[in-house]
Amino acid sequence: MLAKGVKRPHGEMEGGDLEPRDPGAAPASSLFNISMVKLHQSLRHVEPNLRHLVLVANTLRRMQDQMQREAGGPMAPDSPEALSVVDSPAPVSDLRDSGLEPCRQPPSDSQGDDLLLSSMDSSISTILEDLGQVEVLSPTRPEEEQPLAGASGARQEPARTSAPCLGPLELLSSASYLLEDGLEDIFEDIDTSMYDCDLWSPTSLSGFKAFSSAEDSDSKALAGAEDRLDMSDLDYLMDVLVGGHAL
Amino acid sequence: MGGRAGSVGLAGLFGAEPDRVWALAGQYGARLGPALRSLASVGGGAGAGLGVRSAPWGLSWGCPRRSPSPRSVSAGVAGGGGGGGSNDFQWCFSQVKGAIDEDVAEADIISTVEFNYSGDLLATGDKGGRVVIFQREQENKSRPHSRGEYNVYSTFQSHEPEFDYLKSLEIEEKINKIRWLPQQNAAHFLLSTNDKTIKLWKISERDKRAEGYNLKDEDGRLRDPFRITSLRVPILKPMDLMVEASPRRIFANAHTYHINSISVNSDHETYLSADDLRINLWHLEITDRSFNIVDIKPANMEELTEVITAAEFHPHHCNVFVYSSSKGTIRLCDMRSSALCDRHSKFFEEPEDPSSRSFFSEIISSISDVKFSHSGRYMMTRDYLSVKVWDLNMENRPVETYQVHEYLRSKLCSLYENDCIFDKFECCWNGSDSAIMTGSYNNFFRMFDRNTRRDITLEASRESSKPRAILKPRKVCTGGKRKKDEISVDSLDFNKKILHTAWHPTENIIAVAATNNLYIFQDKIN
Repeated sequence: MLAKGVKRPHGEMEGGDLEPRDPGAAPASSLFNISMVKLHQSLRHVEPNLRHLVLVANTLRRMQDQMQREAGGPMAPDSPEALSVVDSPAPVSDLRDSGLEPCRQPPSDSQGDDLLLSSMDSSISTILEDLGQVEVLSPTRPEEEQPLAGASGARQEPARTSAPCLGPLELLSSASYLLEDGLEDIFEDIDTSMYDCDLWSPTSLSGFKAFSSAEDSDSKALAGAEDRLDMSDLDYLMDVLVGGHAL
Repeated sequence: MGGRAGSVGLAGLFGAEPDRVWALAGQYGARLGPALRSLASVGGGAGAGLGVRSAPWGLSWGCPRRSPSPRSVSAGVAGGGGGGGSNDFQWCFSQVKGAIDEDVAEADIISTVEFNYSGDLLATGDKGGRVVIFQREQENKSRPHSRGEYNVYSTFQSHEPEFDYLKSLEIEEKINKIRWLPQQNAAHFLLSTNDKTIKLWKISERDKRAEGYNLKDEDGRLRDPFRITSLRVPILKPMDLMVEASPRRIFANAHTYHINSISVNSDHETYLSADDLRINLWHLEITDRSFNIVDIKPANMEELTEVITAAEFHPHHCNVFVYSSSKGTIRLCDMRSSALCDRHSKFFEEPEDPSSRSFFSEIISSISDVKFSHSGRYMMTRDYLSVKVWDLNMENRPVETYQVHEYLRSKLCSLYENDCIFDKFECCWNGSDSAIMTGSYNNFFRMFDRNTRRDITLEASRESSKPRAILKPRKVCTGGKRKKDEISVDSLDFNKKILHTAWHPTENIIAVAATNNLYIFQDKIN
């Protein structure tokens, strides 16, 4: 534990035994955050830049491998297999060339790092699950998946982090951008809230005021007053609206 | 969709590959796949899957021997035989095109630069979808020191922004690539592409017009035939030169992903277009169908780990092309071996250096450009930090590697944060393949002489833009005491990036695009 106000000396950043072997790992968690942000920004586009997306996703996987190996090293029974993967942890001296300058350090001590790592892990494993564990990059990978899946299973309890990380590439496959068959799927995301809410009760229709927003308090007041509206009337209205449509 | 009948007829050509159906133009061409597949197998011949096959559209793959291109070594290269070397002579400023404003409009940012086969025309495309073509003036005998200057020849709007209503997105009009066709008559042709659509443009001159029509007046009004009492022959009169650009072909709806490359084949009749996951082969005359020759889309998009980043035809073998990937590999394919070139003939990859491995290893190995040498014996690839020259006969490592800006290796983290690490730099050969050039940051660009192994860093800036001013070599200080005239890594302006450069096919003239300005440099004439 460092005293308050004392900066962690630069020397400790590289090869200190509290630090993971890769000096990039402490900045790695901020790198991880940056990467997650990039991934989500990319996916927000209707037609994401595939090259950017793929490169960021692969980098995230690398970080995940690294962090899992460090966090899960002592516990994973298959660690020998994990170590046999191509980018196995290198001796300290090599990692100075890993090309990571000390970018924004999380101002935490080693215990804080562990907490950070564990919360990262649950979000990483969420992504991994969504990416599909069947992914095979190289012959050694399938074995590596076991400890990862095990680790993710063990960490189910800590609440999944808030980041709504759908499998990034799973999103890709459901994006209409990449569909070539199935015209129908394109219309899956049509917003039908207009048909669902009770704005279409006859009394509120005349005002059209509520048309602009379902949250409009006026419309709610109106709608509330019309609780007694006949179900059959609504049904009829729904039929009229939905029945004859052609898109 | 037109052409359906025609393509059914051609299906017989591909009978040996029933599971390979070429993509029809039209976004939902895949729906017709199953129908065509069955037709293809009906027409099929047995055992025709291997060996030489006839190409689509009845072409054969044996390419007619064209007259030697002007790009072969010529006496025009200054500095003698192996000339074109970057340090055998000095580079001088010649011209700069574009606004001087500090405030750069996004639409004016140059996105591609390309000389034509003779070097007399220089085309640029920008983010606003415009193409500007410069033409080299004939040498002026009274001013022998000012070699032919490039002046605006034609400007036209190649692509407009489009709105895809189905996906609710706007298709950028930015010109990704321009490729010239070899000149066959008085007109010039080029292909220009944005993310989705390729267009063939014809640029023609008109310097005469006919006068003295019988049936219409000089102002174009039709004359009453009964009032014509005598006939005359219209005569051609000179007029002010008018250069017209007209779109002759539009090749659309064949790419789901973003087009990154186009390349004209040496047969001058076909060309390829590549997007992130697919490469299509087109015939210049046929717009309603293309032939899919590479498809790396995985069955599950979740398994996607690699995309195509660039592709190019071999300059002499019209059946051979290469494509590079985001993982730093290059695949060479031979279209004679199968209709679908998913299996490569050669695979080029340099083993990773374990001592320089980092989280960013893959990103910096991603190849942003691949270019064959004029000789066709080598190819050059550009990744984030280096340029590599490969011998086509050696797949396991490049024969030459040139570091462009190695001082950035320790800055990869910040470059990742600000997305600069994803910048796609291009590279180019000189006419004799003895030198290569590529861009960097801070408006620097680098040239490497393959023979002397010397390199030089130059800057495209307004400050050194006096006519015929010799460019001073620049140096980046990587550590220790900064010498005078050196610039430190932290002072580099990463917003000033030179992504696009071009080298005249026979002479030592280079065009360098710096954001919205086009710089032209020439070697000093003694």
